[in-house]
Amino acid sequence: MRQWLRIAFPRNYLDRRKRAGFLFVLPALLFFGSVFILPLAQSIMYSFYKIAPGGASEFVGLRLYEKVLTDSTFWTAVQNTVQLLLFSVPTTVVCALAVALGLNRIANLKWRNLWASMYFLPFATSLVAAALIWQWIYEPVYGFMNYALSFVGIPPQKWLQSLFQVRPAIAVVSVWVRIGFDTMIFLAALQSIPEEYYEAARIDGANAFQKLWYVTLPLLNAQIIMVCILELIFNFKIFDQVYATTQGGPASASQTVIMLLYDTAFKFFRFGDASVMAVFVFVTLMTITLLQWRIFRKPVEY
Amino acid sequence: MANGTASGSTEIEAIVPPRGRAARTVLTSGQVRFRWLITLGIACGAIVVFFPFFWMAITSLKTAPEIQRVPLHIAPDHWLNLANYVEVFKRENFLRYLLNSALVASIAAVSSVVVSSLAGFGFAKYHFPGRDVFFLAIVGILMVPFQSVVVPLYVWMNRLGLLDTYAGIVAPDLVSVFGVFLMRQSIEMIPNDYIDAARMDGSSELRIFFEVILPSVKPAIATLLIIKFMWSWNEFFWPMVVISSPQMKVVTMGLMSFTNMYFIEYNLLTAAAVISILPILVIFVTLQRWVVQAVVMSGLKG
Repeated sequence: MRQWLRIAFPRNYLDRRKRAGFLFVLPALLFFGSVFILPLAQSIMYSFYKIAPGGASEFVGLRLYEKVLTDSTFWTAVQNTVQLLLFSVPTTVVCALAVALGLNRIANLKWRNLWASMYFLPFATSLVAAALIWQWIYEPVYGFMNYALSFVGIPPQKWLQSLFQVRPAIAVVSVWVRIGFDTMIFLAALQSIPEEYYEAARIDGANAFQKLWYVTLPLLNAQIIMVCILELIFNFKIFDQVYATTQGGPASASQTVIMLLYDTAFKFFRFGDASVMAVFVFVTLMTITLLQWRIFRKPVEY
Repeated sequence: MANGTASGSTEIEAIVPPRGRAARTVLTSGQVRFRWLITLGIACGAIVVFFPFFWMAITSLKTAPEIQRVPLHIAPDHWLNLANYVEVFKRENFLRYLLNSALVASIAAVSSVVVSSLAGFGFAKYHFPGRDVFFLAIVGILMVPFQSVVVPLYVWMNRLGLLDTYAGIVAPDLVSVFGVFLMRQSIEMIPNDYIDAARMDGSSELRIFFEVILPSVKPAIATLLIIKFMWSWNEFFWPMVVISSPQMKVVTMGLMSFTNMYFIEYNLLTAAAVISILPILVIFVTLQRWVVQAVVMSGLKG
């Protein structure tokens, strides 16, 4: 407290310097306070109130939680989101790792950069544009996907219009957009591994596979975990790709949690229900992030 | 002692030639084939990843009857058919959408740089009470998904009369945690001696910020400008929430006006997609070095 008083009423040069430092930080603090901290508290508060469109609100305790968490629509959305995750997260991470390992082996820097930027390009496009391009590729009658598959004798598929193919089909869009991002992180990590480790492995007579398994992968452990968590968070919040293409269809087969939150809040204006979902998303993602921190605190063993 | 280690290392070198040119000459034919295989795999993957862009560009040059040809014909009849692009601007106020996006993304990028570098300076170079707690709190905001605060933010925008305005679109985008983090990391690298020297000369703290700090973190500023512009340009969820009138739409929403449930003119849609992606792609390809740097840094972003 005394420290703060001295900053408010500086007595000497050092106090004034501290005050300057605080003032530099202040705009950012105000921004994050009013755009994240306060609304988060309000979200939690809204989840306990029934808000009528006229503005009157009534405290209803946990009744909204009971309503949303026993609603099968909500759990269908959670299930769809998790299924999407299970398709896209492992695929993205494994592909990105393979690409990074491959790129790292290309000795010619010019070629390496060219290939790398091609993998990186989708990252620059908006998710909406990406999803719409893929929707055209998936088009059942005139699309390229069915055309390409016809050469290997596979009959035309319905893709985004099929109850079973819609989730993998959307997951592919996420993989396409994110693969470059993860590749860059892995590539940067690979290039920071000291050459001596491989030298030592070679002296011990390790072959290429053993070098990968016993040297490279353990050293990339931290990045692999981090990328997995980032992908989990990114894919859990999936909205743009679904909204732009299927809007949750066919028959809710691609309805995701954020889609449902958006519809509940801004189509039906049931802010209380939407806030329960908002709290659910926050708690889930916070748990994932905290788990990540737990894992990171453990020293990586080589 | 020194003599002993020297002879030891030459002994090892005699058995295992150092990496580099010497090592490359002893590659067996199997290893050479392996290298080619990797390059081939990387190239094939890159072509697959690049294909949707190619397909988008090709489709945007075709007429409506052309894209409905069965069997599919890959090349367009006329490579310089730009009618779809003209039609995009005629059908929708697409120029307005582009300008809206450019305006919003520019404001977001500039404000982000200003606020983040101020905060980064405060956090990196001053000791005021609560500094580390504040910084941890800001980093902790990474755990709060934007979708969890969107309902209260909407209510606030409504109360402040900012719905359907530029201020409303840009408000939550003005600063990002990543920016504060990036600027703190970069400013920390500046030697304290520079700052102290400026103080000796009688500079005020604010003048130090403008004359010492900002010029020495130009690369970080460039990185933040580019990545933030890109993120804002590609933003979809929040604009969908705040914008309701056609003339306020941003470009991602503009793309959506070329789709509907029943009939999509993909030749127009792909032309619109090309237009929406092109500005970002140009920035991205010319300034890729900085974007990659940002991505590697943002590995720490959630």
